[in-house]
Amino acid sequence: MLHSYLPVIVFAGLGVIVGGTLAMVNGLIGPRRPSRAKDDPYECGLPSEVTRTFRFGISFYMIAMLFILFDIEVVFLYPVGVILRAAHSVFVLVEVIVFVVLLMVALIYVWRRGALDWR
Amino acid sequence: MTFHAPHIDYAGLSPVIALTAGICAVLVGGVFSARRQRLVVSVLSLTTVAVAAGLCIWQWGEREDLVAGALRLDELGLAGALIAILAAAVVIPLSWREPAAERPGSEPRHGEFQALLLSSVLGMVLLAQAQNLVVLFVSLELLSVPLYVLCGSAVRRTQSLESGLKYLIVGSLGSATLLYGLAFIYGGSGSTDFTTIRDAVGSGLTDDPLVLIGIALAATGLAFKISIAPFHQWTPDVYEGAPTPVTAFMAVATKAAAFCVFVRFFEVALGPAVDNWQPALAVLAAVSIVVGNIGALGQSSLKRLLGYSGVAQAGYMLVGIVCASALGVNALVFYLAAYTLMNLAAFAVIVVRERESGYGDGIKAFEGLGRDRPDLAWPLTIAMLALAGLPATAGFMGKLYLIEAAVDADYTWLGVAIAIGTMISLAYYLRVVAAVWMRPAAEPLAPEGAGMPAMAGGSPEADPLPSLAAATAAPRPGTRCLAILVPAWLMAGATIFFGVLPSPLVDWASHAGGALTPFLA
Repeated sequence: MLHSYLPVIVFAGLGVIVGGTLAMVNGLIGPRRPSRAKDDPYECGLPSEVTRTFRFGISFYMIAMLFILFDIEVVFLYPVGVILRAAHSVFVLVEVIVFVVLLMVALIYVWRRGALDWR
Repeated sequence: MTFHAPHIDYAGLSPVIALTAGICAVLVGGVFSARRQRLVVSVLSLTTVAVAAGLCIWQWGEREDLVAGALRLDELGLAGALIAILAAAVVIPLSWREPAAERPGSEPRHGEFQALLLSSVLGMVLLAQAQNLVVLFVSLELLSVPLYVLCGSAVRRTQSLESGLKYLIVGSLGSATLLYGLAFIYGGSGSTDFTTIRDAVGSGLTDDPLVLIGIALAATGLAFKISIAPFHQWTPDVYEGAPTPVTAFMAVATKAAAFCVFVRFFEVALGPAVDNWQPALAVLAAVSIVVGNIGALGQSSLKRLLGYSGVAQAGYMLVGIVCASALGVNALVFYLAAYTLMNLAAFAVIVVRERESGYGDGIKAFEGLGRDRPDLAWPLTIAMLALAGLPATAGFMGKLYLIEAAVDADYTWLGVAIAIGTMISLAYYLRVVAAVWMRPAAEPLAPEGAGMPAMAGGSPEADPLPSLAAATAAPRPGTRCLAILVPAWLMAGATIFFGVLPSPLVDWASHAGGALTPFLA
């Protein structure tokens, strides 16, 4: 019964090894140009403490919102992975293409409306 | 494990597919046609609704389950879809010069406007055919979310923003209530499929507390959408603030789709529990008739008046569901079609008068219309008389049909309530007719261009409007616009036609009721 936990241990071990290695490599070979915003405990591109008169770029939120929309849409592609054995099916291929085309329409709209231009 | 592609009936789904493709075409067409955007987009969206309507008519008479039972293809669903498509086909020309889509000083937004409109139609088509709790909820949201945006689309008018915000908040409350109710029904019956719920409820769950709570919450949620009193408070405010073509669409199409799913949900899924919901809905119908008609008496804005009248008319139509008989469903579908015709005629006239007189949609804007603009006065008069239910109009036949169904189902007192409500309603409908024909024209007001508010939340100096003064000082555009007059006359003509010769519409509606016959007494 215990061996059914083996995948969990492997998963946790891999997580520690991969995560630790990447963090270490980053510390060894990455450039280091500290700034105040980067030293904040929570780094998101904006200072974490803002004053009343602080002004933020709306472009940032536009991109972030669009990212979330498309990101969530793409999640719907994952179920196709479950029926991977059906990869030979023309039906599945067409379904995926239709889905991606709909996303493309949204992307074309967003691009032509200038929502991706950084202003 | 081998994979078998599911069987999909593309013919049955074709209206939905056509609308989806049309939405994409309109959206892309809107951004790629800078100068001729209005024409390109209008042609694309009118083609889309024409194709969708053609496909619905082609599928008329088919009865089968689609997409593993998620949708039901039958005449009731197609009737709801056709009414929604008709409303869109009228509203697209009405928004030809819609200020919400065409602001001075910025790019036109016809592509967005009409893509949102068509998305809402897609939600309505799906909603009218839904026979699964999940599809019901998702398509209701697909219907609502574009409407929230459209209501607030005139971003320079604070009333429009207020309308969008109010609709969003109240609509979300309604959706949440409905979802909670659906969850209870699923919990009680163990299924999301209408026919399976019917079997479960029929085998001893009619008095199950979970199902009863679910019925109450679901009825409340749907009542928000079709503005049944006492869940109607948002209606006059939202109707008044939204751009008028959007109000016209919202008033008729939302009601049609939501009533179709209301019928299907209550009479198919919850049919065995009819003794539990029938008295409750009967009371709601009576309350709506009273509240709507009395609320409309004191209104001076025609859009608010039509908002309250919509509450009262929703009460009349709810009687068709209360009857729980095929006759009731026939009467409901007939009334939905008639209501669509007469309301669209009235709103088309409001769209014109709102632009050419300085009084907005106030009743003063319509004084003396009979002498100055008989081409507008007649459709408005016909619409008002039909809404009031005068003979030789479709509104009269519809009310007669509803009263007949009520009496047949032993709800004679509801029939009496309809008659009393109609009498009260004469007071305000005829007030409009009197203003049109019996008053001298009001002094024309100076166009209110100078005091145009800045975009809400923006600073006035950051948002200059170079061409605004020129746009408002120029002769008001769109006053003799055929794109508005033709639909107004067509709708008014159809109102009279089906009042004098109702049999084609009666036959059409009885097919819709026939689709539910196996489930009805």
